[in-house]
Amino acid sequence: MKQRALWSVVLAAAVLVAGCGSASKSSSGGGDGKLVVWDWKSGDGDVAGYVEKAKADFAAKHPGVEVEFVAQPFDQYYTLLGAAIQAGKGPDVILFNGGGQLRDRADALLPLDEHVAADRSRLAGWDAFTKDGKTYAAPVTLQGHPLYFNKALYNKAGLDPNAPAKTWTEFVEDCRVITEKTGARCFAQGNKEGIGIQFFLSAMGSAVLTPQEYDSWIAGKRNWSSPDVKRVFELWKEAGDSGLNNDGANSTAMFNDAFAVFQSAKAAHVIGLVSDVGHWKDFGEFIDPADLGVMPAPVVNPAATPSLPYDGGIGYGVAKWTKDPKRAADLVRSLTSADALKAFHTGAGAIASDPGIDVSSAGPAATAIVSAIKTGKPALHVALPVKTVDLMGRLSQQLLSGSTTVDDVVAQLAASDTTG
Amino acid sequence: MPSRQAGPIGRVRRAKRAGRARRAGRVDRLAPFVLVAPAVLVVVLLRLWPLVLGINFSFTGDGELNGTAVGLDNYLALLDDPLFRTSLRNVGLLVLLLPIAVAIPGLLATFIHLKVPGHRVYRGVYFFPAVLSPVIVGAIFTLLLSFDGPLNAALGGLGLPPVDWLGDPDVAIFAVVGVHVWATFGMALVVFLAGFSTLDPSLLDAAKVDGASFVQTLRHVIVPGLTRTIQFVFVTTMIGMLTSMFGLLYVMTGGGPEGSTYLPEYYIWMQQGRFDRPALASAASTALFVAMLVVGLAQVAVLRRTGKED
Repeated sequence: MKQRALWSVVLAAAVLVAGCGSASKSSSGGGDGKLVVWDWKSGDGDVAGYVEKAKADFAAKHPGVEVEFVAQPFDQYYTLLGAAIQAGKGPDVILFNGGGQLRDRADALLPLDEHVAADRSRLAGWDAFTKDGKTYAAPVTLQGHPLYFNKALYNKAGLDPNAPAKTWTEFVEDCRVITEKTGARCFAQGNKEGIGIQFFLSAMGSAVLTPQEYDSWIAGKRNWSSPDVKRVFELWKEAGDSGLNNDGANSTAMFNDAFAVFQSAKAAHVIGLVSDVGHWKDFGEFIDPADLGVMPAPVVNPAATPSLPYDGGIGYGVAKWTKDPKRAADLVRSLTSADALKAFHTGAGAIASDPGIDVSSAGPAATAIVSAIKTGKPALHVALPVKTVDLMGRLSQQLLSGSTTVDDVVAQLAASDTTG
Repeated sequence: MPSRQAGPIGRVRRAKRAGRARRAGRVDRLAPFVLVAPAVLVVVLLRLWPLVLGINFSFTGDGELNGTAVGLDNYLALLDDPLFRTSLRNVGLLVLLLPIAVAIPGLLATFIHLKVPGHRVYRGVYFFPAVLSPVIVGAIFTLLLSFDGPLNAALGGLGLPPVDWLGDPDVAIFAVVGVHVWATFGMALVVFLAGFSTLDPSLLDAAKVDGASFVQTLRHVIVPGLTRTIQFVFVTTMIGMLTSMFGLLYVMTGGGPEGSTYLPEYYIWMQQGRFDRPALASAASTALFVAMLVVGLAQVAVLRRTGKED
């Protein structure tokens, strides 16, 4: 009996130890003949064509090297990735959102400049994956914040949809007419998660800041005490106070309740995205694509030049612990090859990082967006540290509810931005 | 028998047997340790050791300071962070709201026990939300409580102004706690009903004969008779509020508006997942652990005291 008990204990311990050992093996870094890619996309059916094209391109260069895509749930993605970085081992190639999410983790990535030099002029959106002059990922899609408008509501209100307002004053007047004639509000606004202010800052920023102010903001020299920066937050407050937004903006989720307000013609404008969701493709399913317009931000400051705010949306980087950096970088190049990106655009409905791709079949809004990429600039909110963006979300809610002042908001953001 | 045998053979056998006995004695002494080893190992390796690592980790830095000791910096940063202070204040608010969260199932259980018309239906209906996941409950109530949702439409029908239930920082935390109570009171109700079954019905009959009103019955018969049940429900409801509101918060408010609905759990998740500050998250976890330890010790004290009353 005792012996049997002893054996069962030993067996149980062995199982336990084996269990511990094998738990860490799955989906961590590849060995000699294998590369592991982490993302939150490859599980979706609509990017199957993209994955296939990228794999084929890579297999032609490196036959015999297996590529494993591990699709993680997006909600947990950066938590899981944080654990992998903490442990110093994990996937070889990693999908990132551009901006803060990548920059905060740049010390776990390899600079790719020498490997992707040949793609640099073909693709757009590199800035979002660059930190201190070094590139850490190659862009797959672009993410931007155009001002969409519903031409049908313009027609109904007796306005010319082909000549939308050029200045903020005209814009507000047009909105007054639209609300009077159709009952629709000016902006579909969702600021429950503090996303509304991010889109607003970036979409309106180029119409308020002078080009010099804009460029230094992106370069990291942000002058929070400048009257123009303050003006953006004043506009935000005015839009809320004067009823341009839909009611309850602070409890409306941008994804997708605010977009639903726009799609159901309860608001005439929305600051949306260009890729993934809340974009020309989504809106086109509810509003006739011919009625979906994209307009430049109405000018607030005569010294400003409105431009499309866009950045690299998602892109692939290489972990610094990968065994063969050249090989992993080649996989990144395959993942951003023209064929693969074309498949991504048609499959997932994204504006790919290669503006040379033909998007004419996607409707006039997509064409208008792609044609604005040449003169576009990086989005203002993407340049901010994640911590400051989060604070800005909460402060913007206070501005809408009237529990703080613009001066206080700008001061708090300035403090957060410098300590970041 | 061998022991009676004289001579060298007997001695050898005796020695062998003594050896066996010694071995058997050693096995007997070691067996308990070996047998509890798996349980102890599981607890030590998978619970205590990570806990020690986590606490140790909370004294190191994030980002560029990763791995270097920073002393109490993380804890000072926590105290300095208005969001963490809000989350602690909200914990205090939950403690204050606890009597209401206990009184609701208590009262409803009383009605069911007193066999109000339709009590069988109510018993099932009240328990029903307890089987729904917080995500589903949160999604349903996000729709109901949205600014242009049915609840505000009903208020409008009564001529009342709309309330931004999830968008007003003074209202949102109460809305979320209210939904949490709605979703979880079924379990407490069942515990109360079980408590009622131990209540002596002759006492209730005597009260009825003496002409006691409902309030008098509640105060002088039911509450004193259910002291232990009430204490148990208090402790379990408190723990439920502190540890299982994440799903509702995530779906309904995302910590907002203006950060007014943060709880420590949500704060920890944001620091680790969004801001990539695992060491600060560890410090917040340690702080939450200490808070839970206090609640847990209070629970042990309460249960021990009620145990003595038996």
